[in-house]
Amino acid sequence: MARTRRPREAAESQVPAALLATEVSKSFGDAPALEPLTLRVEKGERIALIGHNGSGKTTFLRIVAGLLESSEGEVSLLGQKSGTLPARASLSFIADQPTFYDDLTLWEHMEYVARLHGVTDWEQTAADLLGHLGIYHRADDMPNRFSRGLKQKSAIALGFIRPFDVLIVDEPFVGLDAAGKEALLELLEQASVDGATVIVATHELGFVHTVSRIVALRDGHLVYDGAAEGIDVDRLVRTEDPAGEHDGEQH
Amino acid sequence: MFGVTNETTTGLEALSQMRRDRRKRRVAEVEWFEALYRVYLTALVGGGAVLALSGMVKDTKLSASELANVTTHGPHVIGLVAALVVFLGIRSGANGGPVSVEEAEVRHVLLAPVPHDAVLRHPAIQRIRSMAFAGALAGGVAGELTSRRMVTGNMATWAIWCAVAGALIGSLFSISALLAHTLAIPRSACTAIAASLVGWQVAVTFGNTNIAGPFDTLGSIALWPLRFRAVDIVGIVVITILGVIAIVQVAHLSLEALARRSALVSQLKFAVTLQDIRTVVLLRRQLSQEHMRERPWFKVPKALRKNVVFGRGFRSLAHFPARRMLRMSLLVIAAALCEVWAYRGTSPAVVVSGLLLFVFGLDIIEPLSQEVDQPDRTDALPVDRGWLLSSSLFVPVVATLPFVVLGAVVAYLAEPHGATIAVAFIAGIPAALTGVAGATVNAVKGAPDPVSEANQGLYLPPEMSGMGTVIRAVFPPAIAILGSLPVLSATAAEKRNIDPVGATVRTAIGGLLLVTLVAMWVHQREPIRAWFRQMSQAGRTPISQKAAQ
Repeated sequence: MARTRRPREAAESQVPAALLATEVSKSFGDAPALEPLTLRVEKGERIALIGHNGSGKTTFLRIVAGLLESSEGEVSLLGQKSGTLPARASLSFIADQPTFYDDLTLWEHMEYVARLHGVTDWEQTAADLLGHLGIYHRADDMPNRFSRGLKQKSAIALGFIRPFDVLIVDEPFVGLDAAGKEALLELLEQASVDGATVIVATHELGFVHTVSRIVALRDGHLVYDGAAEGIDVDRLVRTEDPAGEHDGEQH
Repeated sequence: MFGVTNETTTGLEALSQMRRDRRKRRVAEVEWFEALYRVYLTALVGGGAVLALSGMVKDTKLSASELANVTTHGPHVIGLVAALVVFLGIRSGANGGPVSVEEAEVRHVLLAPVPHDAVLRHPAIQRIRSMAFAGALAGGVAGELTSRRMVTGNMATWAIWCAVAGALIGSLFSISALLAHTLAIPRSACTAIAASLVGWQVAVTFGNTNIAGPFDTLGSIALWPLRFRAVDIVGIVVITILGVIAIVQVAHLSLEALARRSALVSQLKFAVTLQDIRTVVLLRRQLSQEHMRERPWFKVPKALRKNVVFGRGFRSLAHFPARRMLRMSLLVIAAALCEVWAYRGTSPAVVVSGLLLFVFGLDIIEPLSQEVDQPDRTDALPVDRGWLLSSSLFVPVVATLPFVVLGAVVAYLAEPHGATIAVAFIAGIPAALTGVAGATVNAVKGAPDPVSEANQGLYLPPEMSGMGTVIRAVFPPAIAILGSLPVLSATAAEKRNIDPVGATVRTAIGGLLLVTLVAMWVHQREPIRAWFRQMSQAGRTPISQKAAQ
């Protein structure tokens, strides 16, 4: 279901990191939102980004997407500076707050986003995606009038209608019903199978248990970056020394 | 991977096609009768305003010396207007303006592999165009009014060249904002550049110097019907070049600023439609990134915290940002100068003074506004809402007094006579306090509820929505304007050789009475509304039911 660009990359010999953040920080006025953070994510990796409210997850993901400018440091996607045209082509960002046009139906949104990304044969994929998420019957309705859960499903569909190499998703499970969560987990799984790099900010155990790597932020600091195995997610988010000897470990 | 050969081209095609389709759809959805009616209404109001202004301008032609004065100082004065416009433009650019696109456009188009300049060029040009049009309109009206007193040039010539000057000045707002934004000039540098330009033009306008101001050529274009100077074309050329650079640079608009503004601007437009001034103020603050200080200016002493509401009010003031303090000071200084202007004989200046003090009031009543913003919390408190809100007025009133002193000092500097200080204090206290009172009425009456039966007429033109809606919008600033009237009694008294101080005291008492009435209304509003509802229900109960009861 996920449309990735993996075959093109397979031919490349010198493989840059899917995501490389170097000493990236962000302050809003005097208030630091993200302390200098360095993170390297390889192609095809599947990562859960966790942290309590205000820990800096959304700030970091928005910097990666190019929606926020970092105060210091740089982010690159597949060797391209974040926000540049090639970086935008390779990254699909599903934000925590779904946003839609007031005057377009869901189907028209699907067409628009697909075609903006150069997809010409989008109809069948759009129908499949909407059907998979259980909102095909709402395709001709205005998504701005949907409930929170339906908006979230629509945003997910828009995130997957276009090709990507890196998928970053911010709190996608919020507001979803059980069927929606299941459908999203399958889409994320399929994206990984197709070779995409998947980074999801979530505490949803259903997803966290499927990843190999966890990155944890607390108060804007990177407090854990390592294997997911044997990690108590709740403790990682809440306690001062979440992972004992793993604390501060770099991947 | 699937067959995509040229994503950028296809994306651009999709963008232009979708824009075309949406435009067609919008045009198809326009209710032409309503649109024509709006045009008619705008023409009616605009025409009325021009006629009113025409009535205020004398028809006597200028004398030779007056004409020489206009020729010498006119370019500087009009240039000063241009300098102020550029100041505002640069500040807007530093705060992320002037372009704002839909939130969905940021998320879906600007994050897509489509060149940003292709997406943003159109909104940028639209912004320049709309500001140029507004400037041309203002310039044209000013030209028409000017022509009445000029011996050379007919009305059309004056209107045309003043409209050209106005269009250039208007477009300068958007151009300077775009340049400040796209060149990523730091905010402090923006302020320094803008202030230097204004300072230079002020020095040229009011100082005794032969040096040309940076915007003199624009001012001079407006006077072309009087005398043509080829060198002024330089101004047009420079603005055109700057405009082209601004549009070429448009791809460098910050996505972060666009994302922040996109949501705020749509909310702002909705709040304006609803005449919800409080929301407009809050959104304006967010747009210009004006946040409360984390570290307070001062620690509120224990004695002032004995009364919990007063303590809360002083703590709110202690967190006011420096920009807001500066803005409030500038508003008071401008209001004081308007009062002096009115004192010298230009009576309509009291309207400007009243409006400025109303805006000042919107800032200083922040502790009260915060309480009004949180009705659920205040309703949950075990205290009377009327008492809470009226008590919240104490701190803004106390905090207004230093500003009254500032206003009096400014008035004395502008009009250095013995009686000025006395008149300034006596007229200034009710003027400032009625500004606070007007803002209080605006805050306490709250935002109109668009779905309530009483406010169904909000979206309709005045004659259809009824006078109630108009009065509701006009009443708060009118209170502020009423409080600025005492200075006129001082002027009238001087003309009749009566003691101006005594005359001002008598009218100032009226202003203070108005303030007291507003405070009482805030305290008793809930019981009055409850009583009114009860009476209204009783009036609707059928007589048969009353008899049965």
